[in-house]
Amino acid sequence: MIEIKNAGKTYRQGTSEIHALRNVSLGIDRGEFLSIMGPSGSGKSTLLNLIGGLDQPTSGEIFIDGRALHGISDDELTLIRRRRIGFIFQFFNLLPILTAAENVALPLLLDGTPFSRLKSKAVTLLEQVGLGARTEHRPEQLSGGEMQRVAIARALITDPAVLLADEPTGNLDSHTSEDIFILLANLNKKGQTIVMVTHDPKAAAYGTRIITLKDGVLSGDSSHAMEGR
Amino acid sequence: MNLTNLLRQVSLRHIKYQKAQTLLALAGISLGVAAIVSIAIVNKSVLRSFEESFQNATGRAALQVTGAQSGFPEEILDKVRSVAGVEYAVPVVETDGLLAAGKERSIMILGVDVLTDGQIRSYSLAQENADIPDPLLFLARPDSILITRAMAEREGIVIDQKIRVETVLGTRTFRVRGILNPEGPAKVMGGNLAVMDIYAAQMAFGKEGRIDRVDISLMKGEELEAVRGRIRAAIPQGYTVETPAGRTRQIEGMLSKFQTGLNLISIFAIVVGMYLIYNAVSISIVQRRKEIGILRALGVTRGEIMRLFLAETLVISIVASLLGVAIGILFAGSIVGVLGKIVSIWYARTAVTGISVSWLHPVTGIACGIAASLAAAIFPVLAGSRISPISAIRSAPWSEEGFFTGKRLNRAALFFILLAASVYALYRFAGFSPLLRSSGFLFSSQIFFLLGLSLVTPAFLRGFLTLFHRLLAYRLGSTGMLAGLNLGKNINRNAVAVAAIFFGISVFVNSAGFVYSIKSSVTIWLDAVVRADIIVSDGHPSSSTNAQTIPMPVDIWRDIEKVPGVRSADPWRKLYMDYKGKRVLLSSVDMVRRGEYSHFMVVQGREQELRRLLPNKDNVVVSEPFAEQFGVKPGDFITIPTPSGPVRCGVVAVVVDYLYDSGTICMDINTFQRHWGDRLADHFSVRVKPGEDISRVKDAIQRQLGTDRKLYVLPVREFKEEIRKAMDQTFVFNYALSIITMTIAGFGIIITLLASVLERTREIGILRSIGMLRWQVSAVVLLESLLMGTAGGILGCVAGILTGRLTLEGARYSSAVEYFIPAGTIVWALFMAAGLAAVAGIYPAHRAAKTNVVEALTYE
Repeated sequence: MIEIKNAGKTYRQGTSEIHALRNVSLGIDRGEFLSIMGPSGSGKSTLLNLIGGLDQPTSGEIFIDGRALHGISDDELTLIRRRRIGFIFQFFNLLPILTAAENVALPLLLDGTPFSRLKSKAVTLLEQVGLGARTEHRPEQLSGGEMQRVAIARALITDPAVLLADEPTGNLDSHTSEDIFILLANLNKKGQTIVMVTHDPKAAAYGTRIITLKDGVLSGDSSHAMEGR
Repeated sequence: MNLTNLLRQVSLRHIKYQKAQTLLALAGISLGVAAIVSIAIVNKSVLRSFEESFQNATGRAALQVTGAQSGFPEEILDKVRSVAGVEYAVPVVETDGLLAAGKERSIMILGVDVLTDGQIRSYSLAQENADIPDPLLFLARPDSILITRAMAEREGIVIDQKIRVETVLGTRTFRVRGILNPEGPAKVMGGNLAVMDIYAAQMAFGKEGRIDRVDISLMKGEELEAVRGRIRAAIPQGYTVETPAGRTRQIEGMLSKFQTGLNLISIFAIVVGMYLIYNAVSISIVQRRKEIGILRALGVTRGEIMRLFLAETLVISIVASLLGVAIGILFAGSIVGVLGKIVSIWYARTAVTGISVSWLHPVTGIACGIAASLAAAIFPVLAGSRISPISAIRSAPWSEEGFFTGKRLNRAALFFILLAASVYALYRFAGFSPLLRSSGFLFSSQIFFLLGLSLVTPAFLRGFLTLFHRLLAYRLGSTGMLAGLNLGKNINRNAVAVAAIFFGISVFVNSAGFVYSIKSSVTIWLDAVVRADIIVSDGHPSSSTNAQTIPMPVDIWRDIEKVPGVRSADPWRKLYMDYKGKRVLLSSVDMVRRGEYSHFMVVQGREQELRRLLPNKDNVVVSEPFAEQFGVKPGDFITIPTPSGPVRCGVVAVVVDYLYDSGTICMDINTFQRHWGDRLADHFSVRVKPGEDISRVKDAIQRQLGTDRKLYVLPVREFKEEIRKAMDQTFVFNYALSIITMTIAGFGIIITLLASVLERTREIGILRSIGMLRWQVSAVVLLESLLMGTAGGILGCVAGILTGRLTLEGARYSSAVEYFIPAGTIVWALFMAAGLAAVAGIYPAHRAAKTNVVEALTYE
């Protein structure tokens, strides 16, 4: 479903070049829950950004459902992000001016659908993540865990091909983190493809497959069964 | 901590990183200062040109005797010459002519006594006249004329060439006997001057036996005031004995209302600049909140924080003011000619050739720029100094309300609105107290009112956004929703940008309403007074109110009446005269003939009385400004200076008359001719017979009478249109200043939006990450800008209508001037506010759209 062929990413910092990712090749199947691990600066977030179309590779190719993400215009890439990819960030990244329901509906609002037609879907998703009673609250009125659940609901509203999570519990306590992982695992059980970046082995263990990056190079790839927990 | 160190290490770096913000603040203040400086310079330059003209034209003369514009008997000269202490007294005939060569040019013609004038004025002839021993002597021949070098070069005229000049007796041919170097009188009117022998001039311009002026030099050691007193005693009443400087002061008084108006409007520009500075400093404080916290934690006191930000403002304001002064001087150079033209059309003829800058102009400009900037910065700086070190470092939430909390805002708004109302009440009921009853005092009530209203802007914006949210936002999809919500987030700051737009638009609507009301009122008056079908004049219609026409012999009306199709023709004569030291307009018409089809707009008195008491009697009607200025009402008597001595006239009525804002006296033309001995006319009002084609009659008049002189024969509709055009020209400065004010307000929007975009970098990153297209990001920012512009536009229109009424009242033209709401301009102003705001939003929108998603998501 996701095909990465010899992807590389180089940044320029002053006069020197930084190779964030070198020749990474990887295939991710539909329904997989892939955990990407590695120490700080290993290139895991860069890889996630490339898969999510937030950034373009300097070299190599990336495909989602056979559709190339490399070498396309910014607008095409943006529309793929809007319609095919769901993002969950470490810092939730909700818009403070919108209510929980409006934040969830946002990707489809961008497509021009009026909020009145989206509200019921947004509320249903919020109910699914356990926030049925908080639909009209603004982010500042929610706890960290609740904000991340809103972010998950927002990521799901477009029925994305893949859910990308970048350290989704990096800003949460351990109890809340576990709730979030369980929620993600349940989504995966229902067939949702998930790619998650984490540096925590315990968190990675929720995935069905773990890959490891080191210095921008793929250094390990193994499959795990859920029963291991 | 040392302030200089902080300035050097911290502030300079911020200026470097916030280039756009700094440059816009700088540009705003510069433009405001430029507006004030340029208006002050052009006003001064026009007065200076009058002063120079008087100095050059009067030479060594210490005193001048003047009478009515049509001249006075030569016998006065002998009386003056016999006064003890008078060294020389020389006669002058001063008149206008049209040089009929290439492009028609209006020139001043001086008729001087060739034998004695050299004692007062010195003439220097160019080298090509080397064989002429005394230039003036050559003028003894009646067709001789001297012209200036400037005119000769411009028109390509050489010695002995014949030139054609339009005079009251028609087109006359003169021979150029010499070219004058640009010295003394030859510098007058930018060189548009010719000199003739006085007797030839009297003949050519229909002034036989009359002169316009006596220029007097004093014997050594004589007291000026003593000689002046003796001259006054020796000649009949009604003549003015004035120094050349006194004549300049007279002109100054005449132009004061017009020039004060321009000065006051230019102040608006700097006030809008204050909003810009307020916002720029507020934004800077919000963006540097953490830095302030760190500095406070490191031991910088509140006072030092205040001084630091005020010092930054001071540096920017000094640079901006210097720049503003330079731009102002450049502006002045390019617009001084336009002002000269307006003054020439409506007040007195002048040719401004250059600008006159005194040390006071830059000093005033710089002082205004610095004072306005510091005053605008003080409140945000006070708020910044209250930032606690802990909250800033921990990034704890901080109210952006700053110094102006909701309650304080409302209280301050109420205070200013009450202050405005009190000032207005004082003005209204101050009677004739010159200080309280001045347009400047009334103007201060406008400023207080606008300040009060701008403090209500946050509440207005909140209401406007709620309405937008309910009615429109969701129809515009995500763009509408986000734009409305974003604006609501920093309501106070956005309100300041809205206030700047509101202020700019209010100035525009104020000016437009004022101009529209004057134009409409004048149109109504013109329709009542000018009821003829055709106007025949010897000058351009716009010169109906100035001294540039070349009058025609009054008896031409008989020739006009002989033209087939003409039902009647009657003359109108106008001239300026001194009344109690003030210049007023004397207007005379044939009351019997004119009364058949036209009427006065009577304010006090009865029209029937007027028709009975004016024809060929020593009675007059006066205009409202005259009545107010000299405290005159129907039933009173005024003594009018005439060439045949003072004449006591009864005031029959006070009427509406817009011809001259310093005051008009109107009398029957027969009375005028009897006392002035003047048989000239400036216009003829012609009525055509019923059923006759006006344009055919017009052509016939032109054909039959336009052979010997250049005639303007215009159907009355075209004549009125020309008057309206001339009025538009008069208000060109009002429009220009409105545009400057709006530009500054536009800068305010750019600063606000740029800051907003910068602060929302992360938000924009989020939106882009979940699929918002670049154009959608741009659209949100543009819509925000559009909403700010529209909100400011609506409030500005309301404020502009209210302040426009005050401006009109302050101008005190006439009680008949009504305020007309300029509906068309208001629609245009709303579009302009929204459009300008949208244009101002383009750059911030572009910046927002360019946001790098990955970097934005990590932006703190």
